[in-house]
Amino acid sequence: MPIRILAFAGSPRRHGNSETLLDWVLASMSEDQDVKIEKIPLTEADINPCRGCNACETLNKCIQRDGMDIYHDKIIEADCIILSSPIFCMGLAAQVKALVDRAQVFRSRKYVLKLPIVPPERKGKRLGIFLSTAGQTWDYVFDAAIPSVKCFYHVIDIKDADIRYLMINGVDEKGAIDHHPTAKADAIKLGKNTITELKKRLDL
Amino acid sequence: MEIKVLGISGSPHRHGNTETLLDSFLDGAKSAGAVVEKVVLKELSYTPCRGCNACHKNGECIVKDDAINLYEKILASDCLAVASPIYTMGITAEIKGFIDRQQYLWARKFILKTLYFSDVHIKRHKGIFISTAGLGWKNVFDGAFPVITALFNTTGFEYYDNVIANDMDRYGGINRHPTALKEAFEKGQKVVSILEKLGTS
Repeated sequence: MPIRILAFAGSPRRHGNSETLLDWVLASMSEDQDVKIEKIPLTEADINPCRGCNACETLNKCIQRDGMDIYHDKIIEADCIILSSPIFCMGLAAQVKALVDRAQVFRSRKYVLKLPIVPPERKGKRLGIFLSTAGQTWDYVFDAAIPSVKCFYHVIDIKDADIRYLMINGVDEKGAIDHHPTAKADAIKLGKNTITELKKRLDL
Repeated sequence: MEIKVLGISGSPHRHGNTETLLDSFLDGAKSAGAVVEKVVLKELSYTPCRGCNACHKNGECIVKDDAINLYEKILASDCLAVASPIYTMGITAEIKGFIDRQQYLWARKFILKTLYFSDVHIKRHKGIFISTAGLGWKNVFDGAFPVITALFNTTGFEYYDNVIANDMDRYGGINRHPTALKEAFEKGQKVVSILEKLGTS
């Protein structure tokens, strides 16, 4: 069984700073032969915002038929779910917020219907990684995004202690992250450490 | 003197808790003599910001849609009431998609320096955030405030006040909340009288 990595590249700008950061993490993970990576650019994912209809509280599924039909299953199957987003106006990019809000179906399953998200033998073994970049240099520029990110991971059964973060501020124009003193090395280290941890958890 | 109050409803859910709270605020403003308009984002056609940064060069967004028209309307208002329910500890993706589109104004302000709001202008333009949340946690609005602050800062509004009510799931909706609708109405009245005293710029 390979280690399954599901990575959402959330920026509407392809191959910009947050996607580059993601690519560094994925490249370091892919050096391990047991790793199977799937990267989804949200620009191609066809994920509509949540309608707030609360139908999932009774149906245990979303009434919308779109890209989320596929990603719902992939989120359950993955051993590690990576979310990358630039910070726009102090928060997640709207495209990422749409994905996060569509996790409402997991929230209904877990907290309203009291049903499992992953089979018991996989519970507590998954990891989440949040990668982000921001143009502003303020150290608090990521603070408003984090509560939504935590919520996203909680409802898919990844607890606080199992979320890793790498957030780089002060990178705005395309390619700026290439000149950052530590981002690439930290991304590579994060990728390697995550695979080591997952192997331990999965007895590989 | 005519005070223009613009309400923007960012919920995908028509006439739900947040829009009802916004309506009460707008009713209060109207009763105080303001000219009131409500825009429902769900009925507009716009896409989220593409992050292309083209606006950094000329201060114009390359996407021409309802978002730009609404920003023009915002800039012509004296009071802006922005309403969103809390989804996953933040504002909805719809209203975040709209707010991210302000980048062209941000570029005018901070890169091109062609847009400037004086302190007097900012004092005479009041921004109010209106929100409801199902959860009763005290911190449930914390992820929304900085994003709303960014909107008001870029569009020249003072972040004047909030009309927020959490714990909707327990109350069973805004109509059963003991104080929120009354508070919204009174705040709508009050902000209009304050703006009248200040005079429009």
